[in-house]
Amino acid sequence: MLFRLLRLILLLTLVVSAPLSFDAAAQGLGQAPAGLVADQQKIIQALTAKTDNFEKQIQQDAEEDSSLVDIRLQLEELSRQSLTSALAFRTRLGEINSRLEQLGPAPAAGQPPEPDIVSGERQALVSEKAEINAVISQAQSLSIRISGLIDKIGNMRSELFRNVLTKRYVLSDALSPQVFSDARDEFSNFYKAVSSWLSFAFKFKFQAILAATFVALGLALVLLVGGRRLFGRVFEADPANEDPSYLSRLSVAFWSTLLPTLAVGVFLASTVFFFNYYNVLRGDIGLFLNALAAVIGVVFCVNRLTNAALEPRLPNWRLIPVETGPARWLVRLTTAMAVVIGINYFLSVINDKMGSPLSLTIARSFGATIIVGVILILMAMLRPFKARDGSWRPWPAWLRYTAFALGLFTIIAALLGYIGLALFVSLQVVVTGTVLITAYIGFLSAQAIGEEGAFANTTVGRWLSSNSSYEDTALDQLGLVVSVAINVMIVLVFLPLILLMWGFQPGDIQAWAYKLATGINIGSVTISVTGILSGIVVFIIGYFLTRWFQGWLDGSVMARGKVDTGVRNSIRLAVGYAGVALAALVGISAAGIDLSSLALVAGALSLGIGFGLQNVVSNFVSGLILLAERPFKVGDWIVAGDVSGTVKKISVRATEIETFQRQSVILPNSNLINNAVGNWTHRNKLGRIDIKVGVAYGSDVKQVHAVLLEIARGHPMVLKNPEPFVLFSNFGPAALEFEIRVFLADVMNGNIVQNDIRFAVLERFSGEHIEIPSTPRAVVEAHKPKAWPTDDDKIEADFAEQEQIKAEAEAEKKRLAKSRKTKKPDPD
Amino acid sequence: MPCEMQQRRWEHRYCNMWKSLVAAVALIAAIGSVHAASAVNKDAETRTLVVTEGGSKTDLALAGGETVEFCPNGCFVTLPNGDLEALTGSETVEISGGVARIK
Repeated sequence: MLFRLLRLILLLTLVVSAPLSFDAAAQGLGQAPAGLVADQQKIIQALTAKTDNFEKQIQQDAEEDSSLVDIRLQLEELSRQSLTSALAFRTRLGEINSRLEQLGPAPAAGQPPEPDIVSGERQALVSEKAEINAVISQAQSLSIRISGLIDKIGNMRSELFRNVLTKRYVLSDALSPQVFSDARDEFSNFYKAVSSWLSFAFKFKFQAILAATFVALGLALVLLVGGRRLFGRVFEADPANEDPSYLSRLSVAFWSTLLPTLAVGVFLASTVFFFNYYNVLRGDIGLFLNALAAVIGVVFCVNRLTNAALEPRLPNWRLIPVETGPARWLVRLTTAMAVVIGINYFLSVINDKMGSPLSLTIARSFGATIIVGVILILMAMLRPFKARDGSWRPWPAWLRYTAFALGLFTIIAALLGYIGLALFVSLQVVVTGTVLITAYIGFLSAQAIGEEGAFANTTVGRWLSSNSSYEDTALDQLGLVVSVAINVMIVLVFLPLILLMWGFQPGDIQAWAYKLATGINIGSVTISVTGILSGIVVFIIGYFLTRWFQGWLDGSVMARGKVDTGVRNSIRLAVGYAGVALAALVGISAAGIDLSSLALVAGALSLGIGFGLQNVVSNFVSGLILLAERPFKVGDWIVAGDVSGTVKKISVRATEIETFQRQSVILPNSNLINNAVGNWTHRNKLGRIDIKVGVAYGSDVKQVHAVLLEIARGHPMVLKNPEPFVLFSNFGPAALEFEIRVFLADVMNGNIVQNDIRFAVLERFSGEHIEIPSTPRAVVEAHKPKAWPTDDDKIEADFAEQEQIKAEAEAEKKRLAKSRKTKKPDPD
Repeated sequence: MPCEMQQRRWEHRYCNMWKSLVAAVALIAAIGSVHAASAVNKDAETRTLVVTEGGSKTDLALAGGETVEFCPNGCFVTLPNGDLEALTGSETVEISGGVARIK
């Protein structure tokens, strides 16, 4: 498995670095036209010879899967080299072609002959070109041949795989008593090898062994202690914590698996390394030690991982919510499975090196597969959950039956003699199971991050909230994005991994990914994931650029330039809409959607849209006009029809007005454009207020006039220019009517001034004995109902009620007085 | 609107955004570097390229004005004039007047 992974990584690096090496080689080779053909011919011949060799090797190693894979990799490299050698001719071919073009075609039969030098050159060029073409066609046929060989290898490997799976061994031979004697022989051989090595090592290399072991141990300790120091906070599960968040559980599980495993891994790797370094190892001992180290490392890692995920001792810190007893059993069973598979692997290495008989291999695999099958069935039989009523509940049905089926399948296949199949299935169960469980935990953590407020509590979230101005809601949304991204990443990482495990080739996966990325054709429309994604990203970038530009223009340029708020608002809105429209256009074209086809659709639909969205369009256009013409700006007091209030926001479709009762009125812009709009504060806030006063007939009107004028002039908020004016407006039916007309610098203060003036008028009139008549009303006699019989209780209750009302009124008055102090009253 | 922040604050905010932007652009560039060779036929009539890729020869017919992506991993191409050329998979083959040029 490790080797397969390494190979995959090697292949990937080759694939990634291949284009670079192409170009470099092509540049280097393009400079030598003289011996070019001969050089490349030689190279291609050498490549052909190598290919011949490989073809023979394929026949020889037909049974060896790993060497077939090696050959395949090398053949791919050869194919690449042949392409590179053909590339070397490109410059020369270009030169020849352009020269031939300059020379023109050979003269036809009837035309005058051309000079010899021209025809000679043409001849030479044509023949060189023919040679080059011949060499390239050699390279081409070589590459075709190599592709054929690669296909053949693929077929052979799948054939080999099928053989492994379908080969049936006769178990009665393999499991006869002969096996035990074989095993004893083998063990004594192995014991001899190891003990002779040990005695050699102790005699001659004892110090080296000690040194190597101590150095390795020291390294591991440094890592473990340093890791604990660094990550101690997240490393230890705190038993006192009643309800740790899922993320902290996850990070504890992660670190408490990673650090010890890393330490053990470092210890094992450095032990092997130093043993090699001091030449302690001899013969096959190195291989055995490697295998042993790998087995110990894997078993340790599995044990740590299951312990961390299931935490048999600390139920609060469990990642997968099973009960304590089953959790303990699960840890034991998984560890046992890892041990069995590890021992099987170790024994297979020994068998390989010792050249042991086939029966032993079969017996070993048989034992391992049966044990894995039994463990699977045991796991399926566990009842890990507890119901509300305290009874134990089994795994979900699908999981239980799958595990049962797999376990039974392994056992039955092994019993029937299909050892290869059983071994394959048990290995796949373990590996795929591990991958799936890891992916599941990943999904759970993504879900945990996506929950409300979870992201803000993570380290990244805390760092973001302290180092940037993101609000809680923004962090929450970011958490959602992160959780979606984690989900996508899990699918992207684990799906190919599982496919690889099941024997798909990396090339297939790459080809699928490529197809998905570059586009799937549906009819004449191409849908490509990268196209759409890049379109979206371009739009987002454009959007943020617009926002940034808007903010910069508004905050830095226009604010400093003391530009009027209305103009600022208009410009900012216009810039915003233009930028978003531009970003959308660029995004659409980046997504690969042809704008000209959109134009066609728009043309066809524009008539329908024109009728259907008439109102919206007219409002939109009105909004643009409002922005350009600016009959009112944000903060103005306007009167439009029945609505009177302050303008809060002007957007493109509608304008938001807040009335003085604090009701938001959304007024479509077309109303504001088509109808008359009164603006109290258009150019300035200057405004006039009128206060009507009536005095009784017989009063001294001159005196009244003088008093009123004095009051008006005496008020501090009343403007001196235009002058306050008192109008003797009417001989009314009950009174002589006057009107005080005063101008205010800010008409928003109208109510305060009116109040002050009315109070002052009353006060002065009573001082000067001027009467304000009230119109007499007709008195209507009402039939009073009979009084209730006197009832002390009722009188008392009424009295208490009145007292309470009075007290409430007092309190209300005080409260109002307090809240009023800061604000001035609204004008009507 | 988020832009109506105090001056200092929005500068800080947009500074962070810039960082994310740069990261996003780098990511896009990394993803976008998957290339294939493309062939453009600028003539009115159909031209044919013979493409040898992965052990098989296929005729790639290009209608007038058509652009086709092909050969992501390197291939051999027989051009209309009979020349054989190798492509690495990042070139553009342009056909005009019956003559193909590789760029």
